[in-house]
Amino acid sequence: MIAGTIAAGLGMAEGGGFTPPGPADFDLPPIVGEITKPMVMISLSVVLISVLFYLMSRRAAVVPGRLQFAGEFVYSGVRNSIARDSIGSEHFMKFVPYLFSLFLFVLVNNYFGMIPIVQFPTFSHSGYAYGLAALSWLLYNGVGIWKHGFLGYLKHVAVPAGVSGLMLLLIVPLEILSNIVVRPVTLALRLFANMFAGHLLLILFALGGEYLLFEADVTALNLLGGVGAIVMFFLVSALELLVMFLQAYVFTLLTAMYVAGAVAEEH
Amino acid sequence: MAPHDHGPPSPTGSDGPTEDPWQAVAWIVAGVLLYGGLGWLGDWWLGTSFLVPVGIVAGAGLGIYLVIKRFGSPPGSAEQAPAPGREDK
Repeated sequence: MIAGTIAAGLGMAEGGGFTPPGPADFDLPPIVGEITKPMVMISLSVVLISVLFYLMSRRAAVVPGRLQFAGEFVYSGVRNSIARDSIGSEHFMKFVPYLFSLFLFVLVNNYFGMIPIVQFPTFSHSGYAYGLAALSWLLYNGVGIWKHGFLGYLKHVAVPAGVSGLMLLLIVPLEILSNIVVRPVTLALRLFANMFAGHLLLILFALGGEYLLFEADVTALNLLGGVGAIVMFFLVSALELLVMFLQAYVFTLLTAMYVAGAVAEEH
Repeated sequence: MAPHDHGPPSPTGSDGPTEDPWQAVAWIVAGVLLYGGLGWLGDWWLGTSFLVPVGIVAGAGLGIYLVIKRFGSPPGSAEQAPAPGREDK
């Protein structure tokens, strides 16, 4: 209903020339030379995480302080509920450092979309998401080759259990494509699309509300639509806070599951 | 290697890895891409136009076949082999 009112309001205001935001709004001009805002943000996130966790572990005590407690809470969450539950207790500790860094890296870069002034989720530029998925791809395929040998891993990836004959001939290329191409691409796409769509939605409600309230003709419908858009902006912001955490969690969890699949004896 | 002892046991109770549900999506997408793509090549080569839809449906079917094969029976059911995929000698 709110969306309908807003649409009607924007329709009324069409003469005024409201330009809805689009993908072009994500092409920010470079700050200096070739350096863009996402590049600065992604570097900043590394510094932030390093400093924060250095401070958290610097005065590690048996009875943790507030900061140490927060750090240990996140760490044990990733270690136990992502790494150990996915990979199993035999191998998981080797992958905890990567998974823990990955989780924090995605989490901080996602929450950049909500922090005032920064206000841009790094992974809404698809290249960053593909780069990160490529890292995970290298990890789980590397682990598979380390565990089974090259040919062994190829068989592990290509031949599903309990399929034989002509069906196997049809299934083998499908398995290879799904394990080597589709899974990492969907991994990246899920993160990128969620960040992109969420941010676009926020821009739309913010700009639309601002336009209806302050720039369009002052009518009851425009004011109602404007207030509705601003309310939606806050509601979607709350939703985004959840989505940003969830995408970091899902990206890490799926990486752990891919590693689990690669180290498994047979699948 | 001795199993690591870190914290309480996992809440799922089992020590084994959990399965990735997104694997199902990957199979169906891969099936559609692969056999749809082969259909497109076939159409391009033979000058026909019906092989793309046939390939897409066949690929999705194969993907669903794999999903049923893997996820079709609940883990504890009687029909399933004790450890899935261990039937090769």
